[in-house]
Amino acid sequence: MAKTQNHIGARMYEHDGTTGRFPLSGLHLFGVVLILMISEWLCFSSIAVAAESGKLVEKNGEYVFVESMDPATRLLLERAVKQGTITQDEYNRVIQESEQRAYLMQPSFKAWYDRGFNLSMNDNAFLLKIRGFLQMRFTQRYRNDGWRTGDSKNFPELLGVFGDYRANRSIDEASTFNIRRARLMFMGHLFTPDLKYFVQLAGETAENAQNPGSVQLLDAAVHSTHLPLFNVMAGQYKVFFNRSEINNATSMQFAERALVMDAFTASGLNRRDIGITVMNDEEVYPVNYYFGIFNGLGPGFNRFGTFESEQPTLGCPGGQTGGGPPNCPATQRNLNANFRNSINQLMYSARLNFNLMGRAGYGEGDMAYSETPQLAIGGGYAYNPGINVQTDNAFVGIDLANLNVRRQLAQFGNARQLGWGTLDYSTYGFDGVFKYKGFSLQGEWYWKNIDRHGKSAPCVQTNAAGTVCTTVAPGLLGNATGWYVQSGYFLIPRKLQAAARYAWWDPDTNAAGDLIKQVDFALSYYISGTYDHQVQIQYTNIFMGMGGFALGRSAPLPNLPTVAINSSGTVPLDANAKNLIENAIRIQYSIFF
Amino acid sequence: MGEPIRRLMVYVLVILITGIGCARMPYTTKTVHEDFRVAVAVQKEIAPAKYTHPVQLTADQVAAILRNFSLREEQRLPLRWFAEEVPPKPVFREEELVWVSPYLVEALQKAGPEERAHFQLFAPGMNRADTRNVTAGWVAVREPYLYLTIEYFHTEIPTRHSDPYYPNNPEMPPLPKTYLLFFEPGRFLVTDEKGARAVQFQDFLKTQVSPLNP
Repeated sequence: MAKTQNHIGARMYEHDGTTGRFPLSGLHLFGVVLILMISEWLCFSSIAVAAESGKLVEKNGEYVFVESMDPATRLLLERAVKQGTITQDEYNRVIQESEQRAYLMQPSFKAWYDRGFNLSMNDNAFLLKIRGFLQMRFTQRYRNDGWRTGDSKNFPELLGVFGDYRANRSIDEASTFNIRRARLMFMGHLFTPDLKYFVQLAGETAENAQNPGSVQLLDAAVHSTHLPLFNVMAGQYKVFFNRSEINNATSMQFAERALVMDAFTASGLNRRDIGITVMNDEEVYPVNYYFGIFNGLGPGFNRFGTFESEQPTLGCPGGQTGGGPPNCPATQRNLNANFRNSINQLMYSARLNFNLMGRAGYGEGDMAYSETPQLAIGGGYAYNPGINVQTDNAFVGIDLANLNVRRQLAQFGNARQLGWGTLDYSTYGFDGVFKYKGFSLQGEWYWKNIDRHGKSAPCVQTNAAGTVCTTVAPGLLGNATGWYVQSGYFLIPRKLQAAARYAWWDPDTNAAGDLIKQVDFALSYYISGTYDHQVQIQYTNIFMGMGGFALGRSAPLPNLPTVAINSSGTVPLDANAKNLIENAIRIQYSIFF
Repeated sequence: MGEPIRRLMVYVLVILITGIGCARMPYTTKTVHEDFRVAVAVQKEIAPAKYTHPVQLTADQVAAILRNFSLREEQRLPLRWFAEEVPPKPVFREEELVWVSPYLVEALQKAGPEERAHFQLFAPGMNRADTRNVTAGWVAVREPYLYLTIEYFHTEIPTRHSDPYYPNNPEMPPLPKTYLLFFEPGRFLVTDEKGARAVQFQDFLKTQVSPLNP
């Protein structure tokens, strides 16, 4: 290769010689510069070709460097040059042609295993990486007697086509196996390493799922990293809003997130959404920004899927089985129109992250055993308007507001918001993380401002004719707030981590006796010294206050015989509710391959 | 919160605090050199090492010693009983010795008795946008022995902290593997008083013909 460069150097010399035969003028000078630039380009092009003198190839699971030219041929050629049988120029030409031939003859793709199966074109213009993630779990729970009357407020079940409220009740002890996560990922880049794609399928069931798992599209996104200051991600993915929302399940200190982490997402419904985000490269800049616009209704969904029920008379809520709301005709059909009044709305999310020391990243725990302190603080704001969580008329519990939205609220513990009409969510989150030599400390504080479109207390009972409201809800829905702090330490660097967490959550700031407190301890053993292969055991204690008013589940309920008694009855679901306590031990095996 | 829970929390806290200070890994104290091909640093040992640093060696001497090392990855049990033994491979290529030796000399001169000279050799990875091919390890001298340990041998190591394809997923290098090291001529590879394998490098260097005085 060195000889090839000498040959190139000789060509450069010829150019220089050419310039010396002409008197210098401005035009000539320009010509010289142009020729020099072209020759420079030619030189580098040639060097690039000559640099392909060999490559790393995988053989028996290891990478070995293989010269593209047969060593015996090269030896003979070198001897031929020394003996004067061939000239240096002939030698250089043959070497270059041989390398060119070897380059053209080799397969145009390569396949290998490195954190997933990789298939790539040799010019790196295309990469497909296929990965799988499996999480198997055994959970042993011990619950107090309060669970016999159950939870109808935070995590109720919504069943049937009408999505009626069902209290979640159980006996004291439960033993369950669960495929908590079963993921298949397709990722890579197209045309250039700066145009990336990511598709993730899930075929799992949550611990409290009511249906067997089916394959679902979790992520489908394209990510442009052409401009480090202005990366763009579009599609369906996790919203860059707060630390626990961004972090992946593959790199958690605990087997499961705290309940409060699930409740305070950007949309208030789900961690994932469909939209577009601009951000900078977090590995390049110490201050990172993320600004995104989304549908705001969770994965695989948009606002055409949500609606308010309406009678033939405009402005009159539908859904009741007889009678009518105040100021509306009493004898109209109950299942009539789906009025889409929020299809012009979008969710907006913004986040700033300051890497004050090092690059703490989003993975939990100091797996990297940071040699220097890593400190980052951040904050996010999300505005998600026009979420219809069930029309607030006097016929709570039987309205046909979109079931997907309502079920997402119930699944993540925000069911106290159900029934309060159309809501605008303004959510704030502030977080911080510190990592140093195996020690980690992480915390977040959340606040969700819930702005109801209907400002007055909703009507829960009308007169017999259904034309005048006689009883309204005893209180108004408040805001929500919560926080958590968690810490971990690697007792054996990169192998064994102990972690503890405390989480606190007030789902309705206007209600009393509704706090949710959670304590977790976890011990994680990382089999391969990375997050990819681990066994975790986690102990969790959850206290869930059942106080406060929940529309449609607390007294007073609509009790007009002709209207709603058949659906909601007169005895509220929380009639005998007691505070709930659960102690659970989770043993989990995870492999990310 | 019940009394048993409080008690459990206290126990865990005590265990955590006790654990702090027990777990350690060697850490970098000085960076000697770093470019796209090679990085050399001085690392602090976590256990008393009592090396005889600083050491005065030339780049040629270091290259001559390292050139004669070869290795084979140690298989885990029970594979070790059945796996076919592959012949050892040279640890370094000639150009790698040219790149790394001068900086190792410098590192061995700057290192203290409780420090070692750590090196990394880089080559483009299978996916240049994500990984690089790394050979890494460390060298230390406790007269009359020279110790070489290889942590990675042509191993794919991520170049970023987070996965460029799976958003915000942390990327970790694999754990170092155990390699069986060989040295030619084998008579200079001995076991020291603590049971570690090392090269009697001064004796070996005496057998080498100086390039200045062939």
